[in-house]
Amino acid sequence: MGKGILIEGLKKRYGSGDTAVDALKGVDMQVAPGEVVGLVGPSGSGKSTLLKALGAVIEPTGGRMTLGGEVIYDNGWKVKDLRALRRDKIGFIFQAPYLIPFLDVTDNVALLPMLAGIPNAEARKRAVELFKALDVEPRAKAMPSQLSGGEQQRVAIARGLVNRPPVILADEPTAPLDSERALAVIRMLNDMARKFETAIIVVTHDEKIIPTFKRIYHIRDGVTYEEAGEGRSFD
Amino acid sequence: MISLAGRDIMHAWGKFVFTGVGLGLLIGITLSMAGIYRGMVDDAKVLLDNSSADLWVVQKDTLGPYAEPSSIYDDTWRSIRGMPGVARTANVTYLTMQVRQGEHDVRTMVTGVTAGEPGTPGWPPYLVAGRQITRGHYEAVADIASGFALGDRLQIRRNHYTVVGLTRRMVSSGGDPMVFIPLKDAQEAQFLKDNDAIHQQQRRTAANPAFNRPQVPGLLDAVIASQSINPYVNAVLVQIESGHRAEDVAESIRRWKRLTVYTRSQMEEILVGKLIATAAKQIFMFLVILSVVSSAIVAFIIYTLTLGKIREIAVLKLIGTKNRTIVALIMQQSIALGVIGFVVGKITATLLMAPIFPKYVLLEPLDSIIGFFAVMVICILASIIAIRAALKVDPAEAIGG
Amino acid sequence: MKSLHLQGRTLMLLVVLLPLLALFIYVALRSGPLAPVPVTVTTVENRSIAPALFGIGTVEAQYTFKIGPTFAGRVKRLDVHVGDLVQAGQVLGEMDPVDLDERIRAQEAALKRAKALLSEAQSRQVYAQIQARRYEQLLAARSTSEEIVATKKHELQVTEAGLNAAREELARSQADREALVAQRSNLKLVAPVDGLITVRDADPGTTVVAGQAVVELIDPKSLWINVRFDQIHTRGLAANLPANIVLRSQAVELRTGRVLRVDPLADAVTEETLAKVEFDHLPEPLPPVGELAEVTVTLPTLPAAPVIINAAIQRIDGKLGVWQVMNGDLHFTPVLLGAADLDGHVQIREGLKVGDQVVAYSTKALKARTRINVVEHLQGVK
Repeated sequence: MGKGILIEGLKKRYGSGDTAVDALKGVDMQVAPGEVVGLVGPSGSGKSTLLKALGAVIEPTGGRMTLGGEVIYDNGWKVKDLRALRRDKIGFIFQAPYLIPFLDVTDNVALLPMLAGIPNAEARKRAVELFKALDVEPRAKAMPSQLSGGEQQRVAIARGLVNRPPVILADEPTAPLDSERALAVIRMLNDMARKFETAIIVVTHDEKIIPTFKRIYHIRDGVTYEEAGEGRSFD
Repeated sequence: MISLAGRDIMHAWGKFVFTGVGLGLLIGITLSMAGIYRGMVDDAKVLLDNSSADLWVVQKDTLGPYAEPSSIYDDTWRSIRGMPGVARTANVTYLTMQVRQGEHDVRTMVTGVTAGEPGTPGWPPYLVAGRQITRGHYEAVADIASGFALGDRLQIRRNHYTVVGLTRRMVSSGGDPMVFIPLKDAQEAQFLKDNDAIHQQQRRTAANPAFNRPQVPGLLDAVIASQSINPYVNAVLVQIESGHRAEDVAESIRRWKRLTVYTRSQMEEILVGKLIATAAKQIFMFLVILSVVSSAIVAFIIYTLTLGKIREIAVLKLIGTKNRTIVALIMQQSIALGVIGFVVGKITATLLMAPIFPKYVLLEPLDSIIGFFAVMVICILASIIAIRAALKVDPAEAIGG
Repeated sequence: MKSLHLQGRTLMLLVVLLPLLALFIYVALRSGPLAPVPVTVTTVENRSIAPALFGIGTVEAQYTFKIGPTFAGRVKRLDVHVGDLVQAGQVLGEMDPVDLDERIRAQEAALKRAKALLSEAQSRQVYAQIQARRYEQLLAARSTSEEIVATKKHELQVTEAGLNAAREELARSQADREALVAQRSNLKLVAPVDGLITVRDADPGTTVVAGQAVVELIDPKSLWINVRFDQIHTRGLAANLPANIVLRSQAVELRTGRVLRVDPLADAVTEETLAKVEFDHLPEPLPPVGELAEVTVTLPTLPAAPVIINAAIQRIDGKLGVWQVMNGDLHFTPVLLGAADLDGHVQIREGLKVGDQVVAYSTKALKARTRINVVEHLQGVK
């Protein structure tokens, strides 16, 4: 399906002149479809900036980004509609589930295909299919506030996946969960990555899950260093 | 696509409806205010309608009989009746006074109507109970707003009047209920001092050697008698023969009778433009303030609601929701709030507020429609601040760190 | 399929919003200017009415006697007071005679003097007669001259003239005295009829001019009511019609009377016709003159005719008519009115027939397009 993520020399400078801060100083990253990589770094390392640049919500100041085989940034945006890009090419999973409280679980997920212009019934069908895979189908009609934290996070994962994006950005997806549930989430992400040929970047500093990655990118002072992970199995 | 605004409203409908009801009460007050203004204008208009006159002939250079005192001789009508184009004339007197009934008294406008048959200018054009005046004296037709009932005995000055008929919406331009009595009684009531004052006046006359001359017996009696009559009325109401223009007839009366004459439109101008102008401005200012307050409240409510959703809006933006959709979400909520508010406001204004006002409150359908659109515009404008805040939300905010 | 929860929520919302909406529509259409106007209707009835005329008047006496001196003078005494009943011929009082008595006495003296002069003239005449006769005999006896006889005859004639003069003088004195006595008696103020003193204008010592009334008296049996009817309501007013009289002081008590006459002169200024109404039986005690009275003159009952109440009559575009209700629609029917009674019934001469439905009362002025709602009883009317 997709071609994963390729980032070459990505730079981001905030401000200008003497007060300029280089948040990213030439980041290189590559994530293959079906692969889950970890992105680890302390606060202020440029982790968030990288995530935001990948998520096409801030504009980098240099370098090149390729998502799913399409060059989206090469010293300037190469796609016009960043919203559509975010909607169609990138799935987001956040630290907190951030579900829309006034929509039920199904519509929370189905909203994305709906936004892309897919009819409501079709969009809901897609959502329900994902729920089956993620084992939250019985709660499909519940309101987010009625779900447990784990269930909410699974719904959030479903939302990230529903438009079949080539890339999923997960920002501390396990932070609020205990280790058992956290591992379950990572396992699920791995499953989904394989199933949907999706490249997944998991930003985390959760010690419980770091050992599960096969590859880990460390980011420090705006530069990434690749490292082989333990790739520990979940069992 | 699903309606995000609708879902949000459904999700928190209790809060939403209560907010709407609160806003509705405010809108109800605003509508009532407009109704009070309309009521005042209507009071002035029904006063003119009920007199069923085409022309008002009053004392020269006065704005009588409603806006200024006016008095003309009660036989002036005879010469006016003879003018070409005049179909009917009738004397009329107006006197705002307290009318006693038993223990309590009511502020009313006592109207003296010329003897005749129903349909005479000045007579109440329609009744809600009883009958029209048939006797030339001591009968009254009272407006129901005065609280009098059929058969009540009213005291006006020293005479007692029996209420034989009831009217509705027959009020002075000030909103005081009208009491119709025969003209001769009204002239007397207008003139009649209390007995002591009459006695004093007679003594004063008797003490004047010019009037009390021994060589001329009977002079004093004649003088006193001439002092005790009131040959004045406040206005002559004129109805015009069909085929004549009111302005032409008015002009010929002005020219040949040297009296001031007002046509219906001029009279309305006097009543609405002069008599109630200040009060109307007062109410208009109130209306403006209430509208400003309403918009401020709507803006505040919508802004608060939006701020409470800032995180969701960020998420929505991040996942690719168009700005249009987010603007629609806020604006639809604002409009929905406005609609609920308007409906509640209209109901409360009509059923709860208007009936408890002592003066007439006229809720015009057109005003309601204008009010509705005003509410919509206000809601849309009020949502602009919230929309700006929502559009400023950075989708990056959804991504932590 | 929605969950029960959401359905419940939707249901709740509907439960709140639908009645609100229904109420709103009701309010918008059923109140305010768009609402149909509630009216009550009445049927044109065939019935007879008794028209009546209503006027107010004051109690007055038919005859008022103003008694005063015929020439200027001072009041000496006045024996009667207001409210006294007096008889014809009774002396009510007297004017001060001033010098009249003295002048009568002088006249009496003059009379006596005239009598004295008369007897003197008589004795002169007797003496002259005797002398004349004697000298005639003497002449017959040729003992005197003819000239002397002629002188004596002349003397006799002079004394006879003197006697006549004295006699007339006496008559004059007598007449003078009688005149003074008559004047003296005219100073008395005498009641011309049996009556009641109503006014006492002067007290003893007051100087009054000739013709000024000192006391007024009325004949209490001649009390009537001077009634004023507005000219517009005097059709049918005539003498001998029965009348009901309510005195202001005795409002509960109805008295009967009849029209004595309708005055030929109406009051042009007040546009009223005057009539005099007599009591059938005078009230006891007598009402004070000047008391206000309400008089209702009953005219003969008219034969049955279509009748409506006057509240239904309106003037639209210069035409008198009524709002007729036909199949629930309003229709303005011009009518020609006939007689009316004081209870508000009016005969319809033209325009309506018995059984027609007309609007009696409405809460608003009606127009031909007005939607109406016929009700039994208008709201808010007690």
